[in-house]
Amino acid sequence: MALGLQLTAAELEALRLSLEVSLAATALVAVPGVALGLLLARCRFPGKLLLDAVVHLPLVLTPVVVGVLLLSVFGRGGPFGEGFAFTRGAAVLAAATVALPLVVRSVRTAAELVDERLLEAAAVLGAGPLRRLFTVVLPLAAPGVIAGLTLGFARSLGEFGATITFAGNIAGETRTLPVAIYTAIQSPDGDGAALRMTALSVLVSLVSLGISELLLRRMRAQAVRDRGGLR
Amino acid sequence: MNPLLELSCSLRVGRLDVAIDARSENAVLGVFGPSGAGKSSWLAGLAGLRPARSARAVVRGEVLFDSAAGQLPPAHRRGVGVVFQDHRLLPHCSILGNLRYGMGSGRPGPTLDEVVELLDLEPLLGNRPAACSGGERQRVALGRALLAAPRLLLLDEPLASLDRGLRREILPYLRAAAARFELAMVYVSHELDELLSFDGDVLLVEEGRAVACGPVHELALRDDCLERLHDEGLLFRIPGRLSDERAGGLAWVELAGGGRVASGAFEGPRPGSGGEVELLLRPEDVILARPPFEGRVSLTNQLQGTVARVARTPARTLVEVRLADGGPALLAEVTERAVARLELAPGEAVAALFKAQATRCRSRVVT
Repeated sequence: MALGLQLTAAELEALRLSLEVSLAATALVAVPGVALGLLLARCRFPGKLLLDAVVHLPLVLTPVVVGVLLLSVFGRGGPFGEGFAFTRGAAVLAAATVALPLVVRSVRTAAELVDERLLEAAAVLGAGPLRRLFTVVLPLAAPGVIAGLTLGFARSLGEFGATITFAGNIAGETRTLPVAIYTAIQSPDGDGAALRMTALSVLVSLVSLGISELLLRRMRAQAVRDRGGLR
Repeated sequence: MNPLLELSCSLRVGRLDVAIDARSENAVLGVFGPSGAGKSSWLAGLAGLRPARSARAVVRGEVLFDSAAGQLPPAHRRGVGVVFQDHRLLPHCSILGNLRYGMGSGRPGPTLDEVVELLDLEPLLGNRPAACSGGERQRVALGRALLAAPRLLLLDEPLASLDRGLRREILPYLRAAAARFELAMVYVSHELDELLSFDGDVLLVEEGRAVACGPVHELALRDDCLERLHDEGLLFRIPGRLSDERAGGLAWVELAGGGRVASGAFEGPRPGSGGEVELLLRPEDVILARPPFEGRVSLTNQLQGTVARVARTPARTLVEVRLADGGPALLAEVTERAVARLELAPGEAVAALFKAQATRCRSRVVT
């Protein structure tokens, strides 16, 4: 290929690992992310502000700090005993932690925009809060869910700081693309490898964003059709 | 006997304090008043969509909720249905999905087939709401509310977003639904002619308070209501049956107790001969004459009756004329001078005259 994308086995391994970790992280945050987004958008409860802040912390903290925090909770001597840090699971958890706020924000914004009047209509038809959430809020906020999950996936792909802090740099276990790129730069003759993997990262990100854009367009078009002439 | 409907609710909405108690002997209670009078807020309080200071509803002796007894379930457990001014159909569900949304309450109610047939919804079932016209959507909203089998159905200006032609089309459906499913209904409107199409009492509301409650006809003769009703375009109705005669291109209506009147304008679908119809007429369009009345005039409608009551406010005088033989009553707005000149007093014989063109005739049944 023009870019000389003749990948070595180690580079392919990093790509495969990156995809696996990101998919696993996205799957891991999907349910709690959507649930938190809906909760923050449509419910009032004590401690809401605190929960909101905690969920959003990874967005503003530098990822290294997130990694250290994860290490202090899940690492050796933490409340969850030992052995969890520096595994593939740790890489997934690190990626999931930084992806979560993006999913929550996206879902929350979409859920907040759902017309209150429709919820009133559902209520007087006998639908309780939970049924209203699943039959009205969630379907109407679906584009926000898709957008959030793709954003979370893309963010997981790029995750570096928390991963290297919490999961380390173990080839085949936790050496995802960004970590592999960093490793390549550190070695004297790794420039070519770093460039190849950088190109690969850009490609994978573009493809995932493209797929999400297509999905979103379809959903938006449907939403516009459904709203057509409706107020 | 206990009233059929007992509703009360008090709540604060912005600066307006709404506290309205209503009782009705009929299953349909109309609520009438200017915008901003608190009508919609009162309904929202009854439905549980707005927090209320107190709320109580008794329908046919059954207590639906009563805040004084600590029994005030949230909106979705009150069994109170609402048809809103805007249809509020779920945009992501088909018409069928919308109709089914409220089904399964466990209360006895109409079946899907019955409602689809009554409201002519069959051709719409597979569509999304966006593909339906305004009138269709409002019919679906009504059907959806019926299928939830509410113990009390609140209609909050359900036709206000529709143009006049569509209103005429949907009113008979509403009336048919009310009759067929024996619904307990509260119907809010600021259009008197909508409220007149139900036989029930009308509650006159102003600034968050009930002014009076009774048949429109009765309210018009009360001095505390006449002015208000007049401001909003006072109308009264004369029920009858359509005859097959079409002389002069007019709709001829046989009145109960004999007599026949003609109307120049038939609104909406026309029923067959013998179909139940009603004439709508303004009191200021009725002319009174003392018999023997022998002048030659162009007026088609000349009915004999006796003066039942004369009601006065500082600004106007209204005469109630009861037609012979248990027929309906008419209202005529005349000047005080005319009352004196014609010596109009209860018991006096009088003829009521009005132009066919001054009346509107409409069907009371779905055709």
